[in-house]
Amino acid sequence: MTPDALALQTETVAAWTALAPAILLGLTGLALLGVDTLWPDDPSNAVLAGVAAAGSILSFAVTGWFLVAGTGQASTGGAIALYGDALVVDGMSLFFTLIFTVVTAMVVVAAYDYLDDHSHRAEFYSLTLFAATGMAVMATANSLATVFISLELASLPSYALVAFLKTDRGSVEAGLKYFLIGAVSSAVLAFGISLVYAVTGSLVLGDVAAAIGTPEMAGVLGLGVLMILGGFAFKTASVPFHFWAPEAYEGAPAPISAFLSSASKAAGFAVAFRVFVQAFPLEAVPAGVDWVIAFQVLAVVTMTLGNFAAATQENVKRMLAYSSIGHAGYALIGLAALTAGGPNGDVLGASMAHLLVYGFMNTGAFLFIALVEHWGVGRTFEDYNGLASTAPIAAVAMTVFMFSLAGLPPFGGFLSKYVLFYSAIEAGFWWLAAVGAVNSALSLFYYSRVVKAMWIETPVADFEIESRPVGLYTAVLFAGVGTLLLLPGFGPVIETAQTVAATLF
Amino acid sequence: MVGIFDFTPAIVLLPFVSFLIALAVGDHLPKGGALAGITATAGSLALAIGTVLAVAGGRTYDATLYTWAEGLEAVNLTFGVLIDPLSALMLLIVTLVAFLVHVFSLGYMNDEDETGLPRYYAGLGLFTASMLGFVVADNLLMAFMFFELVGLCSYLLIGFHFREPGPPSAAKKAFLVTRFGDYFFLVGVVAVFGTFGTAAFVGSESFPALAEAALRGETSVNTFGFAPQTWFTIVGLLVLGGVIGKSAQYPLHTWLPDAMEGPTPVSALIHAATMVAAGVYLVARMYGFYAISPTALAIIAFVGGFTALFAATMGLVKREIKQVLAYSTISQYGYMMLALGGGGYVAATFHLMTHAFFKALLFLGAGSVIIAMHHNEDMWDMGGLRSKMPVTYYTFLSGSLALAGIFPFAGFWSKDEVLYETLLHGLDGDPILLAAYAMGLLAVFFTGLYTFRMVFLTFHGDPRSGTAEDPHGVRWNVKFPLVVLGVLAAVAGFVNMVPVKKVTGLKIDFLHKWLEHGYAGLTVEHYGELLHDFPHYGSAGLELSPLGPGAVSLGLALAGAVVAHRLYNVPEPVEHTDRLGEIKTVLYNNYYQDEYQVWIANGLTRSIARAANKFDGGVVDGVVNGVSSVSLFSGSRIRRIQTGVVSNYAVLLTLGLTALILAFGLAGGWFV
Repeated sequence: MTPDALALQTETVAAWTALAPAILLGLTGLALLGVDTLWPDDPSNAVLAGVAAAGSILSFAVTGWFLVAGTGQASTGGAIALYGDALVVDGMSLFFTLIFTVVTAMVVVAAYDYLDDHSHRAEFYSLTLFAATGMAVMATANSLATVFISLELASLPSYALVAFLKTDRGSVEAGLKYFLIGAVSSAVLAFGISLVYAVTGSLVLGDVAAAIGTPEMAGVLGLGVLMILGGFAFKTASVPFHFWAPEAYEGAPAPISAFLSSASKAAGFAVAFRVFVQAFPLEAVPAGVDWVIAFQVLAVVTMTLGNFAAATQENVKRMLAYSSIGHAGYALIGLAALTAGGPNGDVLGASMAHLLVYGFMNTGAFLFIALVEHWGVGRTFEDYNGLASTAPIAAVAMTVFMFSLAGLPPFGGFLSKYVLFYSAIEAGFWWLAAVGAVNSALSLFYYSRVVKAMWIETPVADFEIESRPVGLYTAVLFAGVGTLLLLPGFGPVIETAQTVAATLF
Repeated sequence: MVGIFDFTPAIVLLPFVSFLIALAVGDHLPKGGALAGITATAGSLALAIGTVLAVAGGRTYDATLYTWAEGLEAVNLTFGVLIDPLSALMLLIVTLVAFLVHVFSLGYMNDEDETGLPRYYAGLGLFTASMLGFVVADNLLMAFMFFELVGLCSYLLIGFHFREPGPPSAAKKAFLVTRFGDYFFLVGVVAVFGTFGTAAFVGSESFPALAEAALRGETSVNTFGFAPQTWFTIVGLLVLGGVIGKSAQYPLHTWLPDAMEGPTPVSALIHAATMVAAGVYLVARMYGFYAISPTALAIIAFVGGFTALFAATMGLVKREIKQVLAYSTISQYGYMMLALGGGGYVAATFHLMTHAFFKALLFLGAGSVIIAMHHNEDMWDMGGLRSKMPVTYYTFLSGSLALAGIFPFAGFWSKDEVLYETLLHGLDGDPILLAAYAMGLLAVFFTGLYTFRMVFLTFHGDPRSGTAEDPHGVRWNVKFPLVVLGVLAAVAGFVNMVPVKKVTGLKIDFLHKWLEHGYAGLTVEHYGELLHDFPHYGSAGLELSPLGPGAVSLGLALAGAVVAHRLYNVPEPVEHTDRLGEIKTVLYNNYYQDEYQVWIANGLTRSIARAANKFDGGVVDGVVNGVSSVSLFSGSRIRRIQTGVVSNYAVLLTLGLTALILAFGLAGGWFV
């Protein structure tokens, strides 16, 4: 294995360049602060949004290039471990970074309009970029220490971003709640890490895996594993650590809701996938520490609770928040359907691919909410009545998102959900797929309510939609086109995801 | 090298293109798209002739053109072309009849100023294309798909005059009744795939070959727990469901008389070349599969013989000329089925060919008469047309002589061979075949009777209405197809004069020779072996002179003709049907077949449907609605957990985690 060789480059470059996507995101965040410092009075919104978008798109491009070129993947010598195995760049980390960067790009482009009449824009953009940096590091974290640090790096800016609308009671309250729950969760995570360290004597995932075979202190190890699971459940908004999510998503500025529910959730899964698969491999964990069953419980409870609660919401944004919890339940199948020696790469890869598609459709849906908030239209289903007559293009995009989230063809969400359930069945967990399918059927109810309101109902009051914000429209349409194109383009996505996932086992 | 077989797809595609043209720009074309149709079918005819010549040169062709669904471990679904003597012959028949029908339509539709001509010619084009696609199909699934297209086209064309009350109802009936049969066919197709993993007609991996090998114990296939013989019979009978529907055999024949509501050229096409012929052709196409099943053969023969007699008796009392022809079609296809069931593969093909010519002729002749009679079809209003339309009369007479089976017209030779083969195999000791033969023989008499009743009532005697005294003239476009077919009806039988061969020793059974070459698994010899090995046809080694049976059937046909002559060839014929008393009513009402089928549809199906609807509305919907209200209710409960108080969240979160830890700890024995 030649870990410090980058593919397709004639000269051997330093291994740290494999971290370029994360570094680019971080530098962009710093650059934004620099811009703010140079023009403290009135930094141009366009410049800030431009820098943020350019940075995230560049990072996206580099990630894509790495992924295609095979950096850190089997074709060029396998994963690249850095800094004493604290970080590792491999196919999975690149795949997830792809999700974070594309969501970040959409969010900052949309925020250009959303922040039009707000101050402290530079802070907004730089915090977003720093959070994205944290997520990119989360995807590469290969030691429980870096896991914790990067998770905090992603979380702390998020708390501030949720509370960004300082004059809005809802936003501030949501930020505080998010922070408090986050603090509890971080404590649980840190405690869990310490217990695992106590049993195994190591924080590096590979060493943990090597040391957990000893049966004594299985109880302490199990406690630690479950507490770590709890910490990740917070990040992915899974039951019972989901309480912050509906409040935070509803109170936060809509682009931040999009960011948190898509990118941040995916980051939680990235780190959960790596930690559980690499540090606690099923073949090695002692009996009684069967974390797969815990994930099965969480998956079923999370998808059921999310969908059931979403079905009764009156507020579209809150409905989306619960639907986001439901989707966390689907994605948990990636860990819940693992078996020693089963088609684990397929299962995990399907979950990753679903998160990618979800990154498009869910971000798009929240950005549509941002668009509606920008117009000043209300937040309930009734307020959306007849929206299609005044904003048909955006309504078409929202329809695409809704049907794709529900898993209907011909949209990307159909195939990703199908492959996810199919791989669960393949792994022998038909009942997980069945619960997922039932929940999907239920989800169609509340997703189609939005569509019905927009297209079929007659408006209760006249809309006053004067503007067609360029940035928001661009982001929404980009997400819509992405959701559509991921149906024909799903083949390479799922192949890549399943290949890179298979190398983890 | 580009050979004639490379153009085989064009035979199918040309009429399809004419369909597209007529549909798209038919309104702007002269004659409403007729010329496109005539050109296309003429082109197809030319290519079919070329194909026949190539097959006559000993060449055959089988190619998969397009795989439209590729199974990973399962089957591949393909479109392909199979050209062997049988399909080449059928191509020739279909393209010839379709071409002549297109020409005739100029006289029947264009000259009569019908509206909706583009729709008509589009329908004809698609109809022809579907049938040709069916004929060249090299696997059962493709055959099924084109079979269905044929059904769709018949629906469209029978209901052509959709503003009148009759045609739409007849079209629906034709569609539904044949669909009922096709339902079994579809199940059969799936069964064939499930059993053999292939639906190909030809090759060592084709399903007839695999079935034969399985019966001979050389290979094994999935027979779903049945004995192979039983299972193959079941599958064969399932496919036969489609055949019985399309070829209008008892009890699914009821759609065909109603289908007379369609324009007469369409009737000619349906009866002679396309729709109805499809069923019999399908059995011939996969004859290797039926030949191994004695039960299926016996059922085919019995149904055929029964239908032949049954339909012929109903034809006796009809008043409309096309109705008589409709029942004669049912009856004649009964003969073909009789031949197939009785082991007369060549005889069936032969009768299929001669029937195509003389029945197309009779329908077109009837069409000519209908033009002349200003679309009055009642034979009792006709009479004396002989002198006014001699071309129509003499060609119609040629067709009638062929239909009645009078020596030496085409129908005599083919029907004689049908009966002879059945008798020969029946005498081996097969009472079912003998019974079927007896019914077929009896039907010969009735055929002669109803045929000449029709001829005499239409053309002889004195005119019985004003229109008949001064009929509307017809032009070349009507006479030309009539003459072509009239000649064929007279001479087509000479291609296979088996009795003459047996008596004189001359090798003039050209059709036998024709069907003897080609793919090894699709030849007459191979079928002969199968019939010998499985149902034991001809195993007794009986020798039977063809002269005796031939003389009997000719005598019966002549007797029927003579009776018709006595009763109806008088200046002022009267209805003799009243003498039949009660039987007349029964015959007039077609043995109450429609009534009981309507009762099945209305009384039985509808009540079952109602019960199913009740089940769906009550139980299924109830469960669904129950689930949704339970979901919404529990959703609103779950919502209450979200109190908005952050300390509650912290408590719940901690309790949740604790519960998880406790459950796992207890289960995993952490606290020991």
